[in-house]
Amino acid sequence: MRKFVLASFVAVLGLYLFATQIPVSITSDKVAAAVSDAISESEVPVDEDIVEKGVLRSLEILEAGQRTRLTYLFAAYIVIWLVFMLYVLRLEQQQQLLDQRIAQLEK
Amino acid sequence: MGNLTTKIIGVITAVLIFVSLYLVFGYARVEGTMLEVQKIFYYHVSAALTVFVAFGVNCVFSIKYLIQRKPNDDLLAVAAAELGIIFCTIALLSGPIWARYAWNTWWNWEARLTSTLVLWLMYVGYFILRSALTDDKRRIYSAVLGIIAYLDVPIVYYAVDIWQGGLHPDRGTKWSLEATMRYTWMVTLLALIMLFVYLLIVRYRMKKAQMRYEIIQQKYLREAA
Repeated sequence: MRKFVLASFVAVLGLYLFATQIPVSITSDKVAAAVSDAISESEVPVDEDIVEKGVLRSLEILEAGQRTRLTYLFAAYIVIWLVFMLYVLRLEQQQQLLDQRIAQLEK
Repeated sequence: MGNLTTKIIGVITAVLIFVSLYLVFGYARVEGTMLEVQKIFYYHVSAALTVFVAFGVNCVFSIKYLIQRKPNDDLLAVAAAELGIIFCTIALLSGPIWARYAWNTWWNWEARLTSTLVLWLMYVGYFILRSALTDDKRRIYSAVLGIIAYLDVPIVYYAVDIWQGGLHPDRGTKWSLEATMRYTWMVTLLALIMLFVYLLIVRYRMKKAQMRYEIIQQKYLREAA
């Protein structure tokens, strides 16, 4: 049972690490490519630097928001699994103590 | 219940837990307003509903004990109450983390939160009472308290209807969720109920073994005297 709880805890941790990697897939190269695409499609003259700065700033804000949300999400699941783990460890401890006492009584 | 059946329940529970984790993080849609934080919902709400099941089992076996006076019913009632406290602790700890993001506060004395805290405190009181009494008195008094404490469960469930204007959404909200979210929640609820059943069997067996040990020990001590 302890192994299962530990394995599921690792799974939660793995999923969190996987989730936090998502923003990294938006690199500045991709942003620059998207900005130049948008500018080439635009019918009015646009300052490329201003647009790029604006897009990068928006991305920073979005990523910071996502990091905050994932931190809350992760904190909640860690707490849930910690409660399960502590309870299972306590059960195992009690079971061991009981086995010892029974063995002592049999002697 | 045999060892094989218990093992099968354990394996099914383990599979369901892993499947539910995959569904929560990999399948369910990200909700539009709270985005990723909303994923706390699946375990928070499922844990809260499992609390009702656990305390329900406690209430049923407390009544059964008062009628038939079988010690095994008392053991089942205690095991269920213990697990109810564990699941209630999970709901009470995961809730404020979600609340901090969604409502910008860790805690609010609204009806559902307060009644859930009262429920948790009543079952903590149940164990304090048990530790303060011995044998028959312990069983009878704690069975009565278990039944009284269960009266708070409908109050917790209907709190959003009775005291309107709280921060919790309506009771039926979870059924109107988008399909992937609803299925994920249903699998998670099933996983936690199975976990409760499995741990209940394990805890009941431990308590039974403990009781047998105490009986043999007392007999041995009497013979030695």
